[in-house]
Amino acid sequence: MSMAILTDITKCIGCFECVAACKKTNGHEADKPYVFHINDGLSAHNWTSIVQRPDKHFVRKQCRHCLDPACASACPVAALHQTSEGIVIYDSHKCIGCRYCMIACPYGIPRYDWDKPVPYVQKCNMCYERVKHGKQPACTAACPTQATIFGERKELIAEAHRRIKENPGKYINKVFGEFEVGGTSVLYISDIDLGFLSYVAIPGTKALPKTTATAMEAVLPTFFGVGAVMGGLHWLVRRRQKLQRENEESEG
Amino acid sequence: MNRVDVFKSVLWTLTGLAVATAITRFIFGLGAVSNLSDSTPWGIWKGLNVVPGIALAAGGFVVTAVIYVLKREEFHRYAKVAVLIAFLGYLSAATALVVELGLPWLVWQPVIYWQFHSALFEVSWCVMLYLGVLLLEFLPVPLEETSWFAGLRRFLTKYKLVLVFLGIMISCLHQSSLGTLFLITPEKLHPLWYSALLPIEFLVSAIAVGPLVVILGVLVICYMYRKEADRKTLSKLAYLGFIVTVIYGLIRFIDLGVNGKLPTIFDGSWQSTVFLIEIALMLVIPIVLLGIRKLRYSQAGLAIACFSAVIGLGLDRANIAGVMLQVPGSHYYPTIYEVFVSLGIVAGAIIVFLFCVEHFKIWDVKWKDPRERAEYCPKFGLASDVWLGSPGVTERVKYSLIFVLSFALGFALMPQDRIESKGVEEITVQKARGGDTLFIDGNLDAFGTLFDHARHVDNLGQKESCIRCHHMNVPLDKESGCWECHSSMYTATDIFRHDWHASPNGAAIACDVCHEPPQERQKASAKKCRDCHVDLYADSTADTLDTYLAMSYVDAMHILCVDCHRWLASADTTRAALAQCPTCHTGSQPDYLKADMRGELRRPAPNHVMMPPAVLQVKEE
Repeated sequence: MSMAILTDITKCIGCFECVAACKKTNGHEADKPYVFHINDGLSAHNWTSIVQRPDKHFVRKQCRHCLDPACASACPVAALHQTSEGIVIYDSHKCIGCRYCMIACPYGIPRYDWDKPVPYVQKCNMCYERVKHGKQPACTAACPTQATIFGERKELIAEAHRRIKENPGKYINKVFGEFEVGGTSVLYISDIDLGFLSYVAIPGTKALPKTTATAMEAVLPTFFGVGAVMGGLHWLVRRRQKLQRENEESEG
Repeated sequence: MNRVDVFKSVLWTLTGLAVATAITRFIFGLGAVSNLSDSTPWGIWKGLNVVPGIALAAGGFVVTAVIYVLKREEFHRYAKVAVLIAFLGYLSAATALVVELGLPWLVWQPVIYWQFHSALFEVSWCVMLYLGVLLLEFLPVPLEETSWFAGLRRFLTKYKLVLVFLGIMISCLHQSSLGTLFLITPEKLHPLWYSALLPIEFLVSAIAVGPLVVILGVLVICYMYRKEADRKTLSKLAYLGFIVTVIYGLIRFIDLGVNGKLPTIFDGSWQSTVFLIEIALMLVIPIVLLGIRKLRYSQAGLAIACFSAVIGLGLDRANIAGVMLQVPGSHYYPTIYEVFVSLGIVAGAIIVFLFCVEHFKIWDVKWKDPRERAEYCPKFGLASDVWLGSPGVTERVKYSLIFVLSFALGFALMPQDRIESKGVEEITVQKARGGDTLFIDGNLDAFGTLFDHARHVDNLGQKESCIRCHHMNVPLDKESGCWECHSSMYTATDIFRHDWHASPNGAAIACDVCHEPPQERQKASAKKCRDCHVDLYADSTADTLDTYLAMSYVDAMHILCVDCHRWLASADTTRAALAQCPTCHTGSQPDYLKADMRGELRRPAPNHVMMPPAVLQVKEE
């Protein structure tokens, strides 16, 4: 069962209730403007934020929980991994702190405890503990306008298309996250373009782990292939040298 | 001092600075010494030490392959140098990784937590294995000096071919996998560098430049210890590098051409300029110099070609792993401390390299001129020159002294402000402006709140009410504004002026008054402010006065307003509403102040706010 969050930008009033609920649920300390933050509100103490756009548009930013997550595919120790609900969660005791997930994520979501001697990666876990017990995430529960809702991914996509169809002209005819980078579990419908949420305005529909998959599949064949080629060369060279020596001996 | 001494002194200085920085980094975290940030998680430690370091260490497997697999015995004399360079290259990369990783004591965890889809998993396995292989390959050399492990040495020498084969197989794997690392960032890496063929390009370029690094190493030792290099074999080895470099150039440009990226090379952007410099260093100069037979056989031609190729490859890897991987909004430049570590690790590797050259039989070379030997070629391992002017200062003492001094200097240079602020932006608070109605907006981001001072005075009981907000307790000054002590927007400010208290021109208080003997004179054991200033009023300030710190402006303002309004909560400011920004920060601002604003209206996220806990836990009473 794939769970998802659908955020309707036209309904968001920018009240920050979701942010406050997230902070409270995850026990995050008060945040301050650190020099190592990006100006999008997300930080090691803030797993979701509201990005203000022109003309009173408020866009909630959070982990997109990709169906085929680049961060999980990049993580060398499987500290970031996907649950059966499609949620990407983080095992701090496995993490070695390489920060390859931060390089890999196309949305720039994972954040780091730069100021701590024992730092961890910080990102939204869609309140996995709550979801596991049949509850909805704190942010969607806190939303006073139902701008952000939680449910099964299939149903939410159907709901999104229904809203777009029933309100012609109100929305951009696209469910953001339906196909991007292989599909994400956090979906948006909006009357403004949400390209700013990712590093390129129109991310492809190809899941990023697929870019490395071919190379990774070639690893073992390469290993033995190189060994075989080198062994063959070695045999040839030795044989040639042996023949040469024998020739010299017979001539001499 | 001869050239070896000068060179080594520089190396030990850099190492000392690096160690001091590394210690600071482990105590205070990565943010204390580096400019790494959420937008630039990988800096020069990965971009200059780890990724290029591994690429430049490829000489080890290329040269051993030529010698042992292809049986080219004429290169045998460079086998030990090649393996040593490779070993130290990997060791320095691993050291950089230890400083760079967030949790370096868990660096071995890929051994138990497997993840076959990750290129980094594969790289870390290979690097660990290959470090072991290189150690075993090199171990017979130091073991020559002792008879203790003769059996082990014989065993390792006997099975050398197995180690060589393992080395080649593992190297081919992770040299290419380093390229695979960046396949997952098609949207971030600049198109001139991003290519589906990155793994192959990484492998081929490493094979091309690997032998050239070995040649450069040989030439440098020859220069330093005034020996003569055997140009004939070196040139032959360089020819191998030349051929592979041509292949690499073909792959790269055909790939660019097929993907239609060739026209963008000359589009004049700074990235294309960097690209052209990289191509010139990595491809054009080496191919021209090594392609012409006469130049290839001259020492200068060989040295310039190798140096250029090495710098070029380093630049290529640094571009891919850092410079061209930058995302919009990141303005990363390394701090001087990152540079210390980066250079210090390389310096440390070179120190070990020189030690091995001086103490072990790494190679055999001809003396340039046997008669010069006495003057210019000191017996290795002994100080040739007196550095401090007094006889008897051995090399060991001299370099220890240099190391300790630079180590201390490194600590003295550590960024005190940055460590204390823990990365919190320092924003000096501005005085609230306006007349009867104040606009309280400490950081001038236009998102302040209007405060009707006159109305508050009227409602709270005229002059008697001042004390409700103002502490009225700063000695000699009964009307201080908030911003005078709470002078930093988000960090606490030290408000105790020690020097003024002790100075004869100030308060002229004897030391013993506050630091009562026999206690040591320390801040913790000194008297508290209120022990003397009995007229200090507000109870709420008592705690902070014990630490001599005024809390941040943001916290002070929120607590002051909210604490009072919590009790006076009325219909329009219910207690629940008090926890929400827009209740007070309505976004309206006086017109006459708009010209002064620092920037556009930027709504601060509530993450920047510490609200009194009583407000967040709303209860009906």
